[in-house]
Amino acid sequence: MKPKVAIFDLTDCEGCEVQIVNSKFIDRVLGGVEFVHFRLGQRVNRWEEFDVAFIEGAVITSHELELVKKIREHSKIVVALGSCACFGGIAAISNFMDIKEAKRYVYGENADKIETLYIKPLPEIIKVDFMIRGCPIVPEDFERVVSDLFAGRIPREHTRPVCMDCKSKGNPCQLLKNVPCAGPVTYGGCGAPCPSAGMPCDGCRGPLEEPQMSAELELLKKIASKDDIVRLFRKYAPMAPLFKDVGGEKL
Amino acid sequence: MIYDEFVTQIEGHGRIYFDIKDGKVVEARLEIHEGSRLFESFLRGRRADEVPQMSSRICGVCPVPHNMAAIQALENAMGIEASEQTKMLRRFMISSQMVQDHALHLYVLAAADYLGVTGISEVYAKFPDAVKRCVRIRTVGNRGIELVGGRAVHPINSIPGGFAKLPTREDMEKIAKDFKAILNDCIETFRLFASLKCPDFERPTEYLAIDDGKHFPAYAGRLVTNRGLKVEAKEYRNHIKEVFKPYSNTKFCVMNGHGFHVGAIARVNLFKNRLNPTAKELLRESPVKFPSDNPFHNNLAQALEIVHYAEEAIKIAEELAVKLKDEERPKPTKAGTGVGVVEAPRGTLIHEYTVDKNGIVKDANLIIPTGMNTTNIEEDLYALLSANINKPKEQLKRLAEMLFRAYDPCLSCATH
Repeated sequence: MKPKVAIFDLTDCEGCEVQIVNSKFIDRVLGGVEFVHFRLGQRVNRWEEFDVAFIEGAVITSHELELVKKIREHSKIVVALGSCACFGGIAAISNFMDIKEAKRYVYGENADKIETLYIKPLPEIIKVDFMIRGCPIVPEDFERVVSDLFAGRIPREHTRPVCMDCKSKGNPCQLLKNVPCAGPVTYGGCGAPCPSAGMPCDGCRGPLEEPQMSAELELLKKIASKDDIVRLFRKYAPMAPLFKDVGGEKL
Repeated sequence: MIYDEFVTQIEGHGRIYFDIKDGKVVEARLEIHEGSRLFESFLRGRRADEVPQMSSRICGVCPVPHNMAAIQALENAMGIEASEQTKMLRRFMISSQMVQDHALHLYVLAAADYLGVTGISEVYAKFPDAVKRCVRIRTVGNRGIELVGGRAVHPINSIPGGFAKLPTREDMEKIAKDFKAILNDCIETFRLFASLKCPDFERPTEYLAIDDGKHFPAYAGRLVTNRGLKVEAKEYRNHIKEVFKPYSNTKFCVMNGHGFHVGAIARVNLFKNRLNPTAKELLRESPVKFPSDNPFHNNLAQALEIVHYAEEAIKIAEELAVKLKDEERPKPTKAGTGVGVVEAPRGTLIHEYTVDKNGIVKDANLIIPTGMNTTNIEEDLYALLSANINKPKEQLKRLAEMLFRAYDPCLSCATH
């Protein structure tokens, strides 16, 4: 029997779902699984037990909060897809702002009619079995996690920082050029597309396990202002562990 | 649970509500329940050079136009004049995005409506050749964006002033060949969609697109409509107004108090004379004539644009394959406010930023194509439902959703 798969999207850009469609793997996925619930891809969707549910996006409205709890109840395995689900994503920058003013700026006198929750990473709301990180995810990570899950293996975590990907591409080091870069503390496996395109890593995959955060911050203090350091970590994974503390007393 | 009521096979979360009493449509609403991410608020306080990448996160489906509109607005704000080569590369990126994104919408989201199937898995099972064609087209479109922008979803190295890293002449030569290799697939896409039957429906409206005086709309220009509007982009606030609706997190747009239409149908209606030769030829043999006032023809216009923008990508890539050169990136010369306009797959996109003398963004305003289309969609819904009033409610619902989908709406973008 084909595995029963559900893909849900909450508030987000849907770029991680686009990366799934961009995956070379899409042929095998389409032929190899049964999509039981996939709003973006089909008209008829059912609530039954899902072998795997992927959740993309951030929980911003109260109905999304109810929805993720319901998904958890229906799923054997829940995978958080992309940094909005894993770490609150870019919209969670507003967690660090005066939210009333932020809403007023966009909606004026109607601001109170717009509901926006304090944005928590999905693992703080429901039990998440695996995370596919990144803004956006890289298709290779999706392929690897899906192949592992369907083969009954436990997907392994990347254990190296983005620097390793970057070095293997032969890129010049951004930090050595005095450009603030989150590569040394960021969860690798992405292939370092940003430094390869001439830009610094902006930490979109969140921290790797036990990163040398204090050493990174010491280094950054020599080449960047406090505001710039905060901006670097408060971007695509602002609620990730350690990243969310940058800008607090520790800096 | 509201999730199951959301319209399927569109980007973002919304539903159509309508009410019929005594044989008359008394209410037809486009309710948009996408969460508000408040981009305009949190882009304030960011450095101008990080804003184009952050803005692209508004939409993972059409990241390139957001990236480009932000760059153009920031350049105008900071007095940066991009080179001709830079503008060509930007038009190349937008062309690649159009090819890739229209193929996604037509084959993955809209096709089910026309082929009488329920979704992507069934399309895959019953029309494997079409799916393979879609994958071929999208692969090359993505490769084009990646080559110049560094990554297909959320470009990396396109920044105010130019590019952090340029492709090589050899890269451009190769990508021109790649686009040539899919041109036939693009033509087949047009022929397929030209052969599919659309609901019979017409409602004249105002069509808006950008005009740079030379190209089929893509990057920068004045705002023009079929009813005589012709204004500089920076005057957009005098013409396009945003209205709050209690049932929608997206603000609705109106022009002179009424709805207007942006997107592929608007571009083709207004500028079909500027289409590239193969696209023009296909239009001549097309059973549907443009300008068209049938909003369902937006899908055929998209299919036509796949051909046009693929030809455009070939043209630009071939030219740059012989003359691409390293350039100094121009630096900011002032602080101030700037507006950027580009064509996104879903229509005209406007970004506006104010940058202070330290290069920090102080104000941001974003007008998104689907936001512009909202009022027009509701006006179409009234007319479409009224014209089909005797059909059963379930059939009306399907028809209404098909209309909505034909606009290729992106509610993530529209709400941002």
